Amino acid sequence: MSAAARPLVEQPPDREPWPVMRGEHPAAALTDHLLAPLWRSSPTWWLLFGLSSLGTLLLLFTVTYTVARGIGVWGNNIPVAWAFAITNFVWWIGIGHAGTFISAFLILLNQRWRGSINRVAEAMTIFALVNAALFPLLHLGRPWFFYWLIPYPATMGVWPNFKSALPWDVAAVTTYFTVSLLFWFLGLVPDLASARDRAPSRLKRLVYGVFAMGWRGSGFQWQRYRVAYVLLAALATPLVISVHSVVSLDFSIAQLPGWHSTIFPPYFVVGAIYSGLAMVFVLLLPLRRAFGLYDIVTEAHLSAMAKLMLAMGLMLAYSYVVEIFMSWYSADFAEQYTYLTARPAGPYAIAYWIMTVLNVVTPQLFWVRRFRTSTRVLFLASIGILVGMWMERFIIIVTSLNRDFLTSSWHIYMPTWVDWGILAGSLGLFGFLFLLFVRFVPSVAISEVKELSIELGRDGAELAGAAGDA
Amino acid sequence: MHEHHDHDELSRRTFLKALGASLALAGLDGCTRMPAEKIVTYVNQPPELTPGVAAHYATSMVLDGYAIGLIVEAHDGRPTKIEGNPEHPASLGASGAIEQASLLQLYDPDRATRIRNGARASSWQAFAAAFGPAGLRNRVGARGAGLALLLEPTSSPLIASQLATLHAMYPDIRVYFYAPLLPTALDAALATRGLVAQYDLRAADVILSAGADFLAAGPFNLRYARDFADRRRSPANGMNRLYVAECNYTVTGGAADHRLASGPDALERMLESVLAVVRGNAGNTDSWSAAVGADLQSRAGRSLVIVGDAQPPRVHALGAAINDALGNTGKTVWFTADPVLGAGDPNATITSLVAALGSGGIDTLLCLGGNPSYATPGRLEFSSLLRRVPNSAYIGLYENETARDAKWFVPAAHYLEMWGDARAYDGTYSLVQPLVQPLHGGKSVAEVLGALVGKSSLDVRSALHAAAPKQIVDASDDGWTAALGRGFIAGTALPRVAAAPRPELLTSPSRAQAAAGSVMITFERDPHVHDGSFANNGWLQELPDPITKLTWGNAALISSRTAARLSVSTGDVLELSYGGRTTRIPALIVPEHADDSVTLTLGYGRGGAEHTAGDIGVNVYPLLMDATQRTVSGATIARAKDGAHHDFAITQSHWTMEGRGQARSVSLGDFAGGHMPAAVRARRTLTIYDPPPRLNAPQQWAMTIDLGTCIGCSACVVACQAENNIPVVGPEEVANAREMHWMRIDRYIEGSTTAPRTITQPMLCQQCEDAPCEYVCPVGATMHSDDGLNEMIYNRCVGTRFCSNNCPYKVRRFNWYDYNARLSETEQMGKNPDVTVRERGVMEKCTFCVQRIREAEIAAGVEGRALRGSDVTTACQQACPTKAIVFGSLTDRDSPVAKQRQDPRAYSVLEELGTNPRVEYLARVRNTNPRLEPDA
Repeated sequence: MSAAARPLVEQPPDREPWPVMRGEHPAAALTDHLLAPLWRSSPTWWLLFGLSSLGTLLLLFTVTYTVARGIGVWGNNIPVAWAFAITNFVWWIGIGHAGTFISAFLILLNQRWRGSINRVAEAMTIFALVNAALFPLLHLGRPWFFYWLIPYPATMGVWPNFKSALPWDVAAVTTYFTVSLLFWFLGLVPDLASARDRAPSRLKRLVYGVFAMGWRGSGFQWQRYRVAYVLLAALATPLVISVHSVVSLDFSIAQLPGWHSTIFPPYFVVGAIYSGLAMVFVLLLPLRRAFGLYDIVTEAHLSAMAKLMLAMGLMLAYSYVVEIFMSWYSADFAEQYTYLTARPAGPYAIAYWIMTVLNVVTPQLFWVRRFRTSTRVLFLASIGILVGMWMERFIIIVTSLNRDFLTSSWHIYMPTWVDWGILAGSLGLFGFLFLLFVRFVPSVAISEVKELSIELGRDGAELAGAAGDA
Repeated sequence: MHEHHDHDELSRRTFLKALGASLALAGLDGCTRMPAEKIVTYVNQPPELTPGVAAHYATSMVLDGYAIGLIVEAHDGRPTKIEGNPEHPASLGASGAIEQASLLQLYDPDRATRIRNGARASSWQAFAAAFGPAGLRNRVGARGAGLALLLEPTSSPLIASQLATLHAMYPDIRVYFYAPLLPTALDAALATRGLVAQYDLRAADVILSAGADFLAAGPFNLRYARDFADRRRSPANGMNRLYVAECNYTVTGGAADHRLASGPDALERMLESVLAVVRGNAGNTDSWSAAVGADLQSRAGRSLVIVGDAQPPRVHALGAAINDALGNTGKTVWFTADPVLGAGDPNATITSLVAALGSGGIDTLLCLGGNPSYATPGRLEFSSLLRRVPNSAYIGLYENETARDAKWFVPAAHYLEMWGDARAYDGTYSLVQPLVQPLHGGKSVAEVLGALVGKSSLDVRSALHAAAPKQIVDASDDGWTAALGRGFIAGTALPRVAAAPRPELLTSPSRAQAAAGSVMITFERDPHVHDGSFANNGWLQELPDPITKLTWGNAALISSRTAARLSVSTGDVLELSYGGRTTRIPALIVPEHADDSVTLTLGYGRGGAEHTAGDIGVNVYPLLMDATQRTVSGATIARAKDGAHHDFAITQSHWTMEGRGQARSVSLGDFAGGHMPAAVRARRTLTIYDPPPRLNAPQQWAMTIDLGTCIGCSACVVACQAENNIPVVGPEEVANAREMHWMRIDRYIEGSTTAPRTITQPMLCQQCEDAPCEYVCPVGATMHSDDGLNEMIYNRCVGTRFCSNNCPYKVRRFNWYDYNARLSETEQMGKNPDVTVRERGVMEKCTFCVQRIREAEIAAGVEGRALRGSDVTTACQQACPTKAIVFGSLTDRDSPVAKQRQDPRAYSVLEELGTNPRVEYLARVRNTNPRLEPDA
C-alpha cells in the first residue's frame, strides 16, 4: 500500500502545541493505509486472537457451569449477596462510558481531534457493554426469568416494581447500548462503503456492500448523514450521564452504609469516564504502533486525553474525601464504622489502599508534560487505573455488605475459581471482540480523518499552529 | 439430609447437555407429573382422616430412659411436625431441639432396612427362631447361663414385665443397662441408692448451679426452663436470681445473673465455702462464695443448689448438704426413686458386663438399642469384646459401629413407628403410640423381647395394656383409650423419698489441686448430637451451638488464657492425652471458659455407615475412663507438633455488638426504680416521609420476644426448620455463611471486658411495616400483605438478592444450589405439605408461619366466627420452652402481644432506620447482686 508520502513511524515528540495530524497525506493513501488491516492479518494478531479465544472459551465454560449448578459456585453468601458479578458489571459499564463520551460529547463541543480515536473508543464501548450486560443476567438466581425485569404486557398483568432501581437499570443500559450501537454503525457507513469499493474479493465486496447500505458519498447523502450523526450525538450525550447515574442508584437507594449516599450519581459517572479513558489508552496505544497511526494519533490526542484523565482523577479523589467526611459528619455509628474502620482497616484494607493509591496517586503523573505523551507511562498508568477502578467497585460492594448493621451477620467473602474464571473470561471475550473489530472493521474513522487532513491542508496554520513539518 | 457434596454433581454428559441448553437459554419445561397408570379415586375415607387436614396424636419420646410427652402432627399418615404435649409434666407444651429433630431421624435415608445374619440377608422369622426359646436353649441351656442383654436405660413397665418373664424362663440371664449420660453421680452421693433429685424452680428465689445446665440438658429441662422463666416474666414481681459456676459456657450460664468460670476443682472448693457460709462457720472466704452463701441463706427454704451430672459424687454430696442446711430439701428439692430400671444396681452396669465378657462367661449377647461399640469409654474396649462374643445380636436404627461388631442385626423401629410406654423423670406414666407403619420393617425392643420368649409377632398394643400398672390404669377399654389419646396418665409421679448425702463424702478431702501444666477435662453432653445418638441428624448437626455457634463438629473448648499459654488459636489442633491415650482435636476458644480446663463433648467422630455423621468431629470416648467420672484431672495438652489446623463451620464469629445496641439489658435496680438507661429505652424515630398506607385487615400480626426469658436453647430454630421445610446445607456451606435457618439465635457479649456477659437474641424476619427489602425488589416478589406480613412470593422471585443486601437484619436466605433436588423418598415424606419447597435461585425467609395463619383463618371461616389473634401459634413460639415468644394481633388491644409492646422494656432493633418492625424485643432484666456488682 502506499504510505509513500512519508513513513508512518514514531517521531520524536514535538513542541507544544502538537498537531492533531502530522504530515500531508493524500486521501487515497490514507484510505489505503487505514483499510490495510482488513485485507491481511499478522502473526501477532493470530497470537492475540488465539489467546482471547481461549479466554472466551473459559467464559463460556464458567458461565455454563454457573447456570448448570447455580450461583453457589461463586463465593457469594449472606451477607455478601453481591460481589464479583456486580463489581464486573459496574466496571465494564464504566469502561463503556468513554466511547460515547469521546464521540458524542466532543463532537458537540466541536473538538475535531476526536476523529482519530472515536472509532476505537466507540467499539470499546459496545464490547464493554456486551460484557457488562452479561453480569446482571448471570447473577440472577434464575437467569431464565430475566425478562421479568422488563416492562412487557404480561398476561397476568404483572409489571416490574418501578420503585426499585433495577428495572431502571435494565432500561438505562439497554437504551445506552442501542444508541451506542446505532451511533457507532452510523459513523461506520462511509468507511464501510470505502471498504466495499476496495475489497479484493467478491465475497468481501458483497459483505461490506450489505453493511454500507448503498452509500454513494453524494452531497445529498453527506448532508443527511451529518444531520443524523449530530442528532444522534445529541441523543447519546445525556445517556452518558444518565446510565451510570442510574447504575449508581442500584446502590444508593439502599439504606446500607457505604451505599446510601447522595453523591453516588456524579461520583459514578466521573469514575466511569475515568476508567473508560484508561481503557482507550490500553487499546489505542498498541493499535497506534501496530497499524502505524503515529501521524493520525499524535501527542495532541494523548496529551488531551491524559489531561481529561487527570481531571477525572481529581474529581474522583474529591468524591472519596467527601464520602469520608460525610460519614464522619453524619454521626451515625454504622456509616462511621464502614468508612472510617471497615474500609481502611477491615479485612479488605489491602484492596482499599491499592484502590486509593492507584486511583488517586497515579493520575498525578499527568501534571508532568513528559508523562502525558510517554506511551509507556500512559499505558502502565492506564492499567493501574483500570485495576484501581475495579477495586473501587469491589470495595463499595463487598466492604459495605460484609460488615453491615448487626455484627452477628458479619462474614467475609472470598472469590472462588469460578469468580476469577468469569472475570478473566470476560476480559478474553472483550479482547476477542476487539480483535475481530480491528481485523474486519476500519478502526479509524477514515472519512473523518480524510476530512481533517483536507481541512488541515486548507487552513493548517490555524488548526495546527506551528506544527513542525506541516 | 444428604445436603452436601453430591447434591448437584455434574457428570460430563449432563454438563454438555447443560452447555447446549444454557446457550439456547431454553426456558421451556414440561411440568406435568401425572402417573401413566390409571389411578383410583379416594372413595372410602376413614373418619379420622381428611385429606389435606393434619391429624394430631399424643405420643412420647424416650431419651436416656425418660419420657417426654409429645403431640405429633401427621398429614395423610405421615408425621410432619413434633410439638410438646401441653399437659405432660416433662414438656408443658414445649419441645427441645432433639425432640423436634427426631422427626428427621424417622425419615433418615441412612436408616438400616434389612435384617442380616453376618453379611447374609436374613429374616425376622430366622431371627425369632435363632433367639426364641428353642434356638436359645440349645446354646445357653435351660437356665440361660451365658445369656446377656444390654439395654438402653428404660423405664417402661412393659419391658419390666417382659424382663420378669425372661427371668422366669432363664433364671441365670444377666441384664445390663447403659447410656453414657446418666445422673449416676448423684446416686453415688446419697446414702440410699437408686434415687434422683427433683426440683421446683417456681418455688426457688435464689438458685445456685454448680456446673448444671439444667435449663437445656437433662430429662426435665423443658419443664425447668419454663418454671425458671415464669419467675422472670414480670421482673418487678419476685424475680428469681441465678448464680452459675461452671467450666464451659452453657445455656444456663448465659441465663445467669452472675456467672463464675470455674474448673471442676474450683467448683468443689466453692461449694465447700458456700456450705461453710450457710452453716455459719465460714472463715476467710472469697467474695463470690460469701455473697452467694449469704444470698442463699437469706432465702433459706426458698433457695436451691443444683449440681451438674458431670460432677463427681462429692460435689453432689456438698450440694445436697447445702440444700439440707438451708432447709430447701423437701421444698425446692426432693428425691424420688429413679424410674429407670436397674438404677443404682452396681451389677447392671456396663462395667459389670465388660467384666463378664472378659471372663468369657457370655455366649449370647443381645444389644437392644444404643451404640455401645462407639459410646463406651475407650478403656473398656467394648468393641473388640463384642466381636469375640460367639452369638451376638444388635437391634439399632443404623448400621453403626455396634452393628458392625455384632453377628446378627435387626433394624430397630423409630419411636414414631412403635407402641410402647415409659415413665417421665418424675415417674409419670407415658405412652408411645405409632404414627406410621415401620418404614423399613423395624422392630421395637418389646417385639424383640417378645421373640425371646417365643412370641415372634407380639401384639404390643395389647401387651401394653396388660402390662400397665394396675393401680394406675383402669382395666376398661375406654379408660385405656383415653390414656392413649392423652399420651400419659396424670398423677402417676413417683412419691418423695427422704435421703441424705453420704457423710463420709462430706468429710473426705477435696480433690487434689491439679499439677502445674496439666489440665482438667470435663466430658459433657453435646448440645447437637447428645451422646452421638443423633449424629446422623442434619438438623442437629447444623444447629449452631448456643454459645460458640459451632456447627458440624466438636472441639476442645478452652479459655483464652489457656489458649495463650499453649500459643494456640481457634482451629489449631491439640494433642490431648489422658490415661495413656491421646486424641487430636482442634481447639475452640470460648470467652470465660474456666482456665486450665478443657471441655469435650461426646458424640462425634462416628465410624458407622451413616453418611451424615461420618468424618464429622472427633471421638473423645477413647479418653473417657468411666462414664460415671466425667470430670478428670491430670490430662496433658499441647499444640499438635505438625501444626495442623481445622476450619470450623461457625455461624457467628463476632462476639460484641460494636455499640449498636441490638440486644439490650438493664439491671433490676434500674428497671424497678423506673429509671431505664437511655440506651435501653425505645428510641423515637422521626421521618420526613409520609407514613405507609394504613393496613386495614382485621388482624395485624406482631411478635414480641422477651430477652429476659430467652435462654438461647435454640429449640425454636429447629422447630422453624421442621415447620418450614428448611434444607440442611452441610459444613462447607455453613462455613461460607450460607446456612438456611429462617430463625437464628444471635449471641453477644456485653459489659466490661473483664466480666463479659452473654445475651442471646432470636433474630428472624422483623416483618417491617416500612420494609427495606420490598421497594428494592425489581419484580415485586416481596410485598406487604394487608395483615402486616412481609410476604415472599417464591415463584415470582428471580434471585437478584437486592432484598437481602438491603435487609439490615440479614434474615433472608438464598437457595444458592438446588438444595431440595435429590431428596430420598423418605425425606420427601417428611416435608410439611403446607409449605412450598423452594427451588434453586430464590430468596426465602420467615413468613410468621403464614400457613398456620391461613389455616386458622379457614378454620374460623368454616366455623363462621371471627378469627382471634390467639388462634395462631407460630412454630417457634410453640416450641419455646420458656414462652419467650409471644405472637398475636395488634388489633386486639388486650392480647399479650399488644400489651407487651406497651411494656417499658419494649424496643425494636435498629429502630433509628425507621423500618417499624412488627417484631419487638423486651430488654433483658438482670437481677444482679449488689455485693458482687457494686456499680450495678
